[in-house]
Amino acid sequence: MRERISFVLNGEPVELEIEPHLTLLQLLRDRVGLTGTKEGCGMGECGACTVLLDGKTVNSCIFPAMEVDGKSVTTIEGLTDAQGNLHPIQKAFIEYGAIQCGFCTPGLVLSAKALLDENPKPNEEEIRHGIAGNLCRCTGYIQIIQAIKAASGQ
Amino acid sequence: MEEFVNVGKRIPKLDAEEKVTGKAIYIHDLKVPGMLHGKILYSPHPHAKIINIDTSRAEKLPGVKAVLTGYNIPPIKFGVYKDNVPLKAKKVCSMRDEVAAVAATDPDVAEEALHLIEVEYEILPPLFDPEEAMREGAPLIHEEHVGGKEKKPTNVLNLPWRLVAGDVEEARKNSTYVAEDRFKVTWVAHCCLGTSGCLAQFDLKNNLTIYSITQIPSLAQRDYMEAITAMGLKDKKVRVIKTMIGGGFGSKLDTYAFEYIAILLAHKARKPVKILFSREEEFFATSPRQPAIIDIAQGCTKDGTLTFRDIRMILDNGAYTSWGATTPSVMMMPISSLYKVPHVRYIAKCVYTNNTYSQAMRGYGNPQATFAIDSQIDILAEMAGIDPLDFRMRNANTPGEVTPQNFKINTCGLRECIDVVAQKLDWRQNRGRKDGRGIGMASMIHVGGGARVYKSDGCGTIIKVDDFGTVNVVTGATDMGQGSDTVIAQIVAEELGVRVEDVVVTHTDTDICPWDVGAHASRTTFVAGNSAKGAAKKVKDQLLEVASKSLGESPENLDIRDRIVFSKKDPEKKSPLGKVLRAAHYAAGGSMLMAEHFYDPPNENLDREFKGNLSVTYAYGTHGAEVEVDKETGQVKILKYIAAHDVGRAINPMLLEGQVYGGATMGIGYALTERLILKDGKVMNPNFLDYKMLTAKDVPNIETIVIETNDPFGPFGAKGIGEPGSVPTAPAIANAIYDAVGVRMKDLPITPEKVLAALKEKANPK
Amino acid sequence: MKAFEYFKPKTLKEAFTLFAKYGGKAKWIAGGTDVIVMIKQKTMAPDVLISLRGIPGLDEIKFNGSLNIGAMVTHRTIEASEIIRKNFSALTDAADYLGSVQIRNVATVGGNICTAAPSADTATPLLVFGTQVKIKNLKGERTLPIQEFFKGPGETVLKPGELVQELLIPKFLPNTGSAYYKLQRRLALDLPILGVSVLLSLDKNQVSCSDMLCTASPISSVLHKMEEDGIVCKEVRIALGVVAPTPFRAVKAEALLRGKKLSDELLEEVAETAANEAQPRDSLRGEAWYRKDMIKVLVKRMAMKSIERVVQPEETIFPERLW
Repeated sequence: MRERISFVLNGEPVELEIEPHLTLLQLLRDRVGLTGTKEGCGMGECGACTVLLDGKTVNSCIFPAMEVDGKSVTTIEGLTDAQGNLHPIQKAFIEYGAIQCGFCTPGLVLSAKALLDENPKPNEEEIRHGIAGNLCRCTGYIQIIQAIKAASGQ
Repeated sequence: MEEFVNVGKRIPKLDAEEKVTGKAIYIHDLKVPGMLHGKILYSPHPHAKIINIDTSRAEKLPGVKAVLTGYNIPPIKFGVYKDNVPLKAKKVCSMRDEVAAVAATDPDVAEEALHLIEVEYEILPPLFDPEEAMREGAPLIHEEHVGGKEKKPTNVLNLPWRLVAGDVEEARKNSTYVAEDRFKVTWVAHCCLGTSGCLAQFDLKNNLTIYSITQIPSLAQRDYMEAITAMGLKDKKVRVIKTMIGGGFGSKLDTYAFEYIAILLAHKARKPVKILFSREEEFFATSPRQPAIIDIAQGCTKDGTLTFRDIRMILDNGAYTSWGATTPSVMMMPISSLYKVPHVRYIAKCVYTNNTYSQAMRGYGNPQATFAIDSQIDILAEMAGIDPLDFRMRNANTPGEVTPQNFKINTCGLRECIDVVAQKLDWRQNRGRKDGRGIGMASMIHVGGGARVYKSDGCGTIIKVDDFGTVNVVTGATDMGQGSDTVIAQIVAEELGVRVEDVVVTHTDTDICPWDVGAHASRTTFVAGNSAKGAAKKVKDQLLEVASKSLGESPENLDIRDRIVFSKKDPEKKSPLGKVLRAAHYAAGGSMLMAEHFYDPPNENLDREFKGNLSVTYAYGTHGAEVEVDKETGQVKILKYIAAHDVGRAINPMLLEGQVYGGATMGIGYALTERLILKDGKVMNPNFLDYKMLTAKDVPNIETIVIETNDPFGPFGAKGIGEPGSVPTAPAIANAIYDAVGVRMKDLPITPEKVLAALKEKANPK
Repeated sequence: MKAFEYFKPKTLKEAFTLFAKYGGKAKWIAGGTDVIVMIKQKTMAPDVLISLRGIPGLDEIKFNGSLNIGAMVTHRTIEASEIIRKNFSALTDAADYLGSVQIRNVATVGGNICTAAPSADTATPLLVFGTQVKIKNLKGERTLPIQEFFKGPGETVLKPGELVQELLIPKFLPNTGSAYYKLQRRLALDLPILGVSVLLSLDKNQVSCSDMLCTASPISSVLHKMEEDGIVCKEVRIALGVVAPTPFRAVKAEALLRGKKLSDELLEEVAETAANEAQPRDSLRGEAWYRKDMIKVLVKRMAMKSIERVVQPEETIFPERLW
């Protein structure tokens, strides 16, 4: 049995019929075809699947797709503007070497965005606290923290 | 110091934009039409005979297109020792043994089908302790395996790990101080954020294309060729195409059962088959770092000169053999060549058990051995009443040295590394307070100029330049996020006088890319870099030859800088690169610029005695840590962490720092928190909650210091850096803990419980 | 993942009616960070999930000296609440420690106590607060103290079809401070090896040695100095997590200190008694001996932190490692 949901995805209205047990991650990757959001563990333990729901980060792998009805979802694909320009956080990640294998990057960029949207000038401790839910094995986090600091204009 | 335009610059990684926008395609994102999903059934027992496998119910499930077991696959043997088969038929030797596999239209259907497969087992007595497994009369893991001089059935592998230099017994007698200790290190996991997987596809003629995340495309291609030959497909081609790789760290240095299973399923079902590991499978069914039980003795004279190093190791080989069993060949490196030590003896035994089996992981045995060696250096220094800083300086390797393993050390920045770490830690002031805060250091050596592990250590590059000055570099090297694509682009741009943005690097397809032995041994910058530089030089020569005609100047007087070809004698005589290229192309008897270069470094295979100049040059480094130990809880906090590395030259300082930060963070986890917990052969923590890799809140502020010794053999002087960051972390931290609270930790990870227990033992010795 | 139907009732009545209709096949879902994981791990296999998200009135915080927290309040809301941070600090500590930002944005305090893991971060703070749990069902409601709410690991006294509507924290005595410590192996995304919460109500809010409080002086020296002030602990609550089948109050330890003058010796005895009231086990996540030892250490430290919060109420952000 399928249920209908309608929500805003990266600024565009979307209406879909979904199986009620779908997770938001499955909705994005399999149904809509946006593969930028990654599955790192499937259990909400690594943050690779982070997306923004009404501006707040959630682990989409354990978030029921049924609950996005009436809400707005932003994935990594939604960060570039209509002209295809990169978001300042994306630029900073590139410039500061914050990306190696890149698998954790989409989730991290969105966590960084949520952090800076709420706290535009975070200190280092606040940055670490804000991204603690995103695991990265390649970078050791240091250049990611530098990138976020730079993106915040500090 | 020359002024470089592209080398030494903090240039962003070439594929960063693809990754930061979510456009990069990893194996997880790849779909091909008609694709089936493969899943694997694993053994529930660590050691058992397989009595029967019944797949009839699974085969009937709608959506299931192929079911395979050890009974119906051709004989494919893989692994370093060729003791592993993709699906087991006679017995299972570990809980990650693959017993059956299913390909279905949907991953959920495939999963359901696994539950319908009935396997009957007869349980056999398991062995989880390598020391027990070595004993006479222990149950045999592989009954047909015989070894030793008498060729008796045994669990001890026939591996020749024995290195002797000088006379250790004699040296021991002549030592004033001798330290003897046992150190233990256990399994840790790579934790790549992207889990493993592959997609196998046969064409109508039975040629295989496999989309893979391998670090060794050329060698994997050969392994797959052997497999399909065993499948009866003679003279067929294999093409390995790499998707974006979600982390490597050595985990993709070998071929795994799941890859052969995907190939077999694809062949049986006549459809492409994709296998993707869940995170749980990633933890229990991929191969972790090699554990070791290390018995080590070192000695020195009264004035602190090292005399000997005598080491015996027992390695838990697990159920099958992968690269873990070869880590002793790399452990020999610090054993023979970390600090000057004239007399060396090393014997390692690898033993089959019913545990998981190990693979390559960043450092490949070096972190394990260095933990023991450089922890004990501090112990020895204390016995001799000498400050560990002075002890290390006294015995530090120097340029021009030939070590007991016949390594020829050319550039060596070890002294500089030790010095700068001591300065940053304010060593003389801060050491010896024993008030809960302490400092410690440890050094490392690693191969920095390739490593002739196989008969070839080479890498090929093909370069072509188009009419507009775009330079296409096709390399055999593998980029798994570490940045080899960017470094190669910088080297080529520097050599050819163009900009980095003019260079496109292709590295993903064995049909197009030349041979490379693989991304291991921190060799890529050195070998692939030299290969690219060589090809670029050839292209440049062609270019200058062609330009000499249009500029009326002999080639020796020409150079290229920033896309302009100019005369060194008369810089006003110049022409843009594109113009020169088009002039050469669009003329009668025209030519296009293209060149290739296969660079195989002038290093040596180790001989029968494991001696030889394995690498062209060696990378040195020192790490230092300041820690605070909470004496009531045993928790260790790192207040300061310094990582100094002799890198030859930093082609890209930003990416290089990334390697050190990442390597050191992995190493700090190795020292303090990470452990793959096995109990009775079962991985108890196959998830990110209970496997404690560091989060952004845990990593200390790591300061990286780059020492440039300008190696004459490296491309623009560069040496390798991929692994060194992970090597000396554990001994540096253990040494700092000793300075802080006077307890010597010899067992990784150094958890709060172990520290507290040691503190209690110290206060009330039994 | 196993398939299920998903309903989003708009009122409590609708929710209860749905639950009654599906009976044993249904489970409530709040944020889902526990439920979805359990379904994926196959420790739960409901055919029907009934979401509480759309029901108004379950996610409010009302402060009037006492505090009402709706069951659907997220940990992120708790973390960001100034009122809770100033007056109910141990709960802020818990929210701060829990999981990650992504988890806290979604996971609810009601869900946390209904999952009833012995390690639940909010459990020991709520225990020391003397929280009352308001339970609603189709027929009506009942309220009981949180000490009676947990039955065993993963088990509460909730009957099928019942849900937690809100948590009621009564007003404290003046000069009350509380603190929660999560002993964990890393600083985020972790489960505790041990959880310790302490609440102290003192008879005064100034001590002569307040400058010693944020230094590296050992606890014993600070306490010895404090003995000169003759501080009386009018109320004492100590709760422990992970070291028993449910989170629990160490009532014997509390009784030793309640109404007495604070001293180093007495606090030492209190901590020792609390440790003896626990039943720590060896498990994948920690060893029994270590847990027991750490109860002694952490009860003392959290008592000190609670005192600090009474004495220096503006500075409720403390360094991670204290004492």
